[in-house]
Amino acid sequence: MPTATLPLTGVRVTDFTWLGAGPYTTRTLADHGAEVIRIESGRRMDRLRILPPFRDGKREGSVDRSGYFADRNSNKLDVTINVKDPVGVDLVLKLIAGSDVVTSNFTPGTLEGLGLGYQRAREARPDIIFLEMGMQGAYGPDASLVGYGQTVSALTGLYHLSGLPGRVPVGTGTNYPDHVPAPAHSTFAVLSALWHRRRTGEGQYIDLSQAETMVSLLGPAVLDYTVNGVNAMPDGNRAEYAAPQGVYPCAGEDRWIAISVVTDQQWTALTDELGAQLLATRYPDMAARRAAHDELDARLAKLTESAEPFDLMHRLQRRGVPAAVVHTFGDLIASDPQLAHRGHFAVLDHPEMGPSVYNAPPYRLRGVDGGDVRAIMRSPAPLLGQHTRDVCSRLLGLDDAKIDELAAAGVLA
Amino acid sequence: MPSEAVRTGPLAGLRVLEISGLLGEYAGKLLADHGADVVLVEPPSGAPRRRLGPFVDGEPGPERSLSFAYYNTNKRSVTLDLDTGEGRAAFLRLAARSDVVLDGTGEPGHLEGRGLGHDVRARGNPKLVSTIVTPFGADGPLADYASTDLILMAMGGLLSLGGYADGVPVRGHGDQAWLAAGQFAAVGTMLAVLQADTTGSGQVVDVSAQEAVVMAHENAVQWYDLEHVVRRRNGGAARQAAVGVYPCQDGHVYLLAKGLGVFWDELVALLESEDVEGAASLREPKWKDDDFAASEAGKAEFETIFGRLALRRTKAQLYEAAKRVRIPLCPINTPADLVASPHLAARDYFVDVDHPATGRTLRMPGAPFKMTGSPIGVPRPAPRLGEHNAELLGTDALTTTGTGAN
Repeated sequence: MPTATLPLTGVRVTDFTWLGAGPYTTRTLADHGAEVIRIESGRRMDRLRILPPFRDGKREGSVDRSGYFADRNSNKLDVTINVKDPVGVDLVLKLIAGSDVVTSNFTPGTLEGLGLGYQRAREARPDIIFLEMGMQGAYGPDASLVGYGQTVSALTGLYHLSGLPGRVPVGTGTNYPDHVPAPAHSTFAVLSALWHRRRTGEGQYIDLSQAETMVSLLGPAVLDYTVNGVNAMPDGNRAEYAAPQGVYPCAGEDRWIAISVVTDQQWTALTDELGAQLLATRYPDMAARRAAHDELDARLAKLTESAEPFDLMHRLQRRGVPAAVVHTFGDLIASDPQLAHRGHFAVLDHPEMGPSVYNAPPYRLRGVDGGDVRAIMRSPAPLLGQHTRDVCSRLLGLDDAKIDELAAAGVLA
Repeated sequence: MPSEAVRTGPLAGLRVLEISGLLGEYAGKLLADHGADVVLVEPPSGAPRRRLGPFVDGEPGPERSLSFAYYNTNKRSVTLDLDTGEGRAAFLRLAARSDVVLDGTGEPGHLEGRGLGHDVRARGNPKLVSTIVTPFGADGPLADYASTDLILMAMGGLLSLGGYADGVPVRGHGDQAWLAAGQFAAVGTMLAVLQADTTGSGQVVDVSAQEAVVMAHENAVQWYDLEHVVRRRNGGAARQAAVGVYPCQDGHVYLLAKGLGVFWDELVALLESEDVEGAASLREPKWKDDDFAASEAGKAEFETIFGRLALRRTKAQLYEAAKRVRIPLCPINTPADLVASPHLAARDYFVDVDHPATGRTLRMPGAPFKMTGSPIGVPRPAPRLGEHNAELLGTDALTTTGTGAN
C-alpha cells in the first residue's frame, strides 16, 4: 500500500510568516501535506529562533535549538534568500510562480515594499492565493501598528474581560490570539480559498486582521453592549450556566481543582462526595446557589483544600460531576492518559535538539492512516537554510555552481 | 426563502448538516457565513444555545438569545426528535444530501447509539465528511468525563497559565475552550472536504476540545520537554520592565517594548519627548540587562517613570502616541471601546443584522477576515426554531415538531 494520502498533497506554499500566529497557520498546511517553504534570511531570521526554551537550556552557537520555534514549524522546508537583493526577489517570484499560496504576517505593506506584494505575485502566478495577516488588517487608520498576541488581547477586549472583578485584568497569561484565533481562522480562510479556486479557477487576496478574529470570538459581549447597553466586566471563573463554578485549592503545592455544577443532581453528588450534604438541602437549585455563590466558594475551598487533587477529580467524575485538576503542562505530558491514548504529543527527532515533543493537531482524520498521528507528524522543524540547495535546484532549476555563486554573493544567505 | 442561488462566499454549494451543540456551533457559523448551506438540526426543545444569554433586554426566551443570534447566522433550522423513528429517518434523508455532517453535541457515540453513525450515513454517500466535536475525543480512557468550558480549560492546561501569581487560576473570558474546538473543527472539516474532493472518499474528523486547548500552550510544552520547567501563571504584574499591564488615567494599557518586542529605544524617546522626569535614565546600560529588567527593582523603577506619563493620559491618548512612534502599546479595550473604534468602522467590521423575532436590529461582528475574491455579504439572521421545517422536511415537519411521542 502507498503511504497515506494527505489532504493537501500537491499544494505549495511560499511562506513569509514568522513569530507566532503566522507559522502556526502554515504548520497546519504543512502537517497535512502541503509543501511549505519558509523564506528566511540570516540577516533577519525568525526571532523565535533565539527565544527560549532551548534543548537543555543551551542557546549558544545555534539558531536551531528553540522549542518555541520548533513547535510552530514541523514538516516545513526552510530556505535563506536575501529579499533586499533584487536577485533574491526574482528567485522568490519564480518560487511564487510555482506556488499555490503565499502567506505573510509581516505588517501589511512590507511585502509590497520588497517588490513581493499581491500584484507582483499575481503577475507571477495568476491564480495565487495571497494571505496577509496583520495585527489589525491591511487597511484602516491603525493598520501599520506593530503588535503581538498580548497587544491583540488588549485591543480586542479579551484582556479586559478576563480576570477577577476589582483587580487588574489578566487575559489568559499567554499570547492567546497567536495560538488559536488567528491561526485557526487564517488556516480556514486559506482552505476555503483553495476550495473556491477549485470551483472557479480563481485565486484571491485575503486580508486577515488578527484582532478581528479575536473579536469574532467575543460576539456575545459585543452584542450585550450594542443591543442592551451592557459593557461587560470581568467575570472570573463564573458562568451563567453553572453554579457554583470555580477553582478550588487542593493538597500540594499550587494544586487546584476546577468544579462546575450544571445540574441539581451534580450538586447533590458533589456535596455527598465531600460530606457536606447539608449544603444540598440548603441550596437546592441554581437560583439559590447563584445567590450564595461567594459563600459556596468559601465552603467548597475548605472542603477541597486537603484533598489529593487527582483522587478528588476521579471520585467526582465517577459520580458525574464536571471536575478537573488544573493540569500543568508537566502533568499533561508526563501522565495524562487521554492525551497519551490519543497520541497528542508527538516526538520528532531533530538534528540538533534530538527527540523532542511537538503538539499534533487537535483532531484525527480517520481516513488518513486510520487517524495515526505519525502520518501527520513526520518531520521536525527545519534548520535555518536547511533546504536552500534542495529548493534552488529542484524548484528553481539552479545548478550547484550557480547556487554556490549566489551563496557567495550573499543572495542565498 | 433563502435559496442557494443567492449564496455568496467561497463555500457556496457546500452542504452541511449540523447537530446543534456548544462545541460545534462556531464551526457551523464559519461554514455558513462563508457560503455553505448549513442546516441546523435542533431538538424540539431547541438548541442548548437558545437558553444561554445574553438575551434581548435581559429577558430569556428561545427567540431572544443574542448568543444564539450570533453563533447561528446564515443557518437554516429544522427540528428533529432523534429518539423517534420519523426523526431518525428524516435525519438520514438530510444527511444523504449533505457533504458534511457536523456533530457539535459533544456527546461521544450518541449518533452511533441511535443507528445514525458515520457508516450508516455514508451508505450511498461515500464522500461524506463527518466531523465529531467532543470534549476529549471520540475514544480514550477519559472520553466520557463530564465537562464544561472551565473543565476543558483545566484539562487542556491553559487554566494553569491564567490568573494572578498570588491567587487562584482564572480562565479567559467567553467559553474560549468550546470556541477553540469549534475553530479547529472548521479547519479539520475543510481539510477532509478538500481530500474528499480529490479522492472521492469522505472520513470521520474526530476533534478533541481538550487538545484544542492544549494548542494554546504557547511554549509551555517545550519548556517542560526541553528545560524541565513547568510554566506557571504570572498575571497581575509586569513580566519585566515595559512588558505588561500598566494603569493610566482611565483604565489600563498593555505595553510590550522588550522581550518579543524590541522597542525600548523608541519608548524612551517617546518618554523624553514628553519631558518625563527620569526618562533619560532609561538609557543607562543596566536596562539592556534582561536580569535587571525582570527584577522587582527594575520593574518598579520603570513603572514609576512610565507612570509619570501614563497616569496623566487616557488610554486613547497613549495609543495615539504609540501609533505615532510605532511601538506596541495598546489600550485594554472594553466592548464599548470596540464598538466605537474608528479603525473597525473604517473596515466595516460590524454588521447590522435583522432580528425578526423581536423586531430589533443587532449590531455584531461581521466577517472575521476579508476574502476579496469571494466576499460575503451581510449575514442572514439566525433561524427561528424549526423555521425551515416545511421546506426541508416536507410532510415530516408536522410529525417531527409535534409531541415527539413515538
